[in-house]
Amino acid sequence: MAAQRLREGVWPPVALAVAIVVVAALAGATGDVVIRRVAILALINLVLVVGLWTFSGVTGVVSFGHVSFAAIGAYACAYLTIPVAMKRGLFPEMPGFLDFLLTVHASFPVAVVLSGLAAAVFALVVAPAFVRLDGVQAGIATLALLAVVYNVLLNWEEVTRGSSTMIGVPADLRLGTAAVWAVAAVAIAWLFARSRVGLRARAAREDGAAARSLGLRVVADRTVAWCLSAFVVGCGGALYAHFITTFNPDQFYLGLTFVLLAMLVLGGIGSLTGAVVGVAVYSLLAELLRRLQGGSWTGVELPAGTAEVVLAALLLVMLIKRPRGLTGGREVPWPARRGPRAAAAAPPAPRPGAAEGGGAAA
Amino acid sequence: MTDVLEYLVAALSGGGIYALLTIGLALLFSVMGLMNFAYGELIMTGGFAMYLLRDAPWPLMIVGVLVAVVAVALLTERLAFRPLRGASPLTLLIAAFAVSIMLQNAARMTVGPRAKGVRPWLEETISIGGVGVQLLDLVTIAVALALIGGLVLLLRRTALGVQLRAAAEDFEMASLLGVKANRVIASAFAITGVLGAVAALMLILKQGSVSVTVGSVPLLIAFVGAVVGGMGSLVGAALGGFVLGAVTAVLDAALPGELAPFRDAFVFGLVIVMLATRPQGLVPAPEARV
Repeated sequence: MAAQRLREGVWPPVALAVAIVVVAALAGATGDVVIRRVAILALINLVLVVGLWTFSGVTGVVSFGHVSFAAIGAYACAYLTIPVAMKRGLFPEMPGFLDFLLTVHASFPVAVVLSGLAAAVFALVVAPAFVRLDGVQAGIATLALLAVVYNVLLNWEEVTRGSSTMIGVPADLRLGTAAVWAVAAVAIAWLFARSRVGLRARAAREDGAAARSLGLRVVADRTVAWCLSAFVVGCGGALYAHFITTFNPDQFYLGLTFVLLAMLVLGGIGSLTGAVVGVAVYSLLAELLRRLQGGSWTGVELPAGTAEVVLAALLLVMLIKRPRGLTGGREVPWPARRGPRAAAAAPPAPRPGAAEGGGAAA
Repeated sequence: MTDVLEYLVAALSGGGIYALLTIGLALLFSVMGLMNFAYGELIMTGGFAMYLLRDAPWPLMIVGVLVAVVAVALLTERLAFRPLRGASPLTLLIAAFAVSIMLQNAARMTVGPRAKGVRPWLEETISIGGVGVQLLDLVTIAVALALIGGLVLLLRRTALGVQLRAAAEDFEMASLLGVKANRVIASAFAITGVLGAVAALMLILKQGSVSVTVGSVPLLIAFVGAVVGGMGSLVGAALGGFVLGAVTAVLDAALPGELAPFRDAFVFGLVIVMLATRPQGLVPAPEARV
């Protein structure tokens, strides 16, 4: 029994963490600046996707709006880490009640956590509108959230600089730091999914009506998942800000939303391993396609947009041929002596959104 | 008085365009549970067809736009949505998102990423009761009315219309009773293509230029309209689209300069409130399907 608990409860996140550390170490060891940047970006995306999974994977409600939490994290982190001396010049018209933003400052790790908290608080405030919804309605409502946040960031120029870029964020995100955050995100997601609240939320994902009839407070559990995942995604947004250092609201809109969803669906939304595998496969493919498109291998430069077309087509093929993703909803298997019993014990994972009555709508 | 008439024309033409778009969205949603995120790219396709045919005579250009948009609509059905038939609405929404990104980037690869101008048309203003009204707005109102009327006739009076309505009500039952699924869904896509093409013509003529992302904002507003009106009901969707388009157009004309940029935030905020409080929309579908 203890052995089984070890295999199912401890092994998957440990294996994922080891894989993350090994990949990061290998990328660092190459000494190649481009490979290192690709690895850092992949690790940031890992934080974002795992954060999204903490809500969408656990509750089965797919969110199109989590990038707005990343945006809030990124902007919050910018206020906290841009040197105070620069800020007065960057935001000459900051309204009085937000004047404190110009004087606050925090070290990078503290700033990331505070940014995550800012996103979580925002998530908590808006939560009542979203945690009751399922399926396609939740998808559209969260999409509308994304549009609202984008619109406000773009037009509240005194505070956000609008479409002119945010500058002055220090470029101090190292590969090691990104790896630590990625491992932390995996740990948070796993602990939450195995926690009491997480188990209840997963039960409601499988059968909402049954869960309610057992007296589970689905809305309360989902609110916890929603805020926790906003925290992780907010931290991811803060890391992203320190990676690209100059950004505007366009970086946090439909493009990034698509990338995160594609990664999640590619790997399989039913398991944490799926989220991690999806990020790895997508990042690798995106980088290969970028090089192919640039023409450094073939000598033929392909028009801009080729990589995106191929990646979107891939997502589509995946949805058609293998809707449960590469992992099919399974976690990392125990490496040795995997008997038929272990295979049978793997939980059945639904297609994305199957819990919302896919059959009734067919 | 003159202001009122100006706003009225703006509201009717804006509302008309969005009513066409939301009817297209609601038709696909009620027949196959698809919230078509790639609908904005139909507008983009129409816009690029207008740009490519900018030197052709007007009738030829209109036909070209119609053919191009309907062809793309049918192509997405055949390649992406037919294999996914029976998947959950959420899977379809994600798939439509992928189709949207594909089409946008395919356009970026071929036509190019920069905004292209189209040939202006119907720019003259004519005077009604002392008020200058742009001819384009009047044509838009007339065309929207004609199309909606035509669609009502199609749905009420033809065999295809009966099949479409039956499929919208209960797809499984309709196919059991001999409605050909492929044919009826392809027709629904063709109809949304026609509606999208006309909306594209009017929107792009109004804006004067077309870019890869030209469809995003109309799509989101149409989404909101469909949700507000009731996603599974054509009447509701038409109403929701009309109201939203009209409100948007009036806000455009009437909002003071400082608030104007936040228009979209209010519009999208509306959809969240609506979904949270009355998820079935103003006019509920005959049978709840989500």
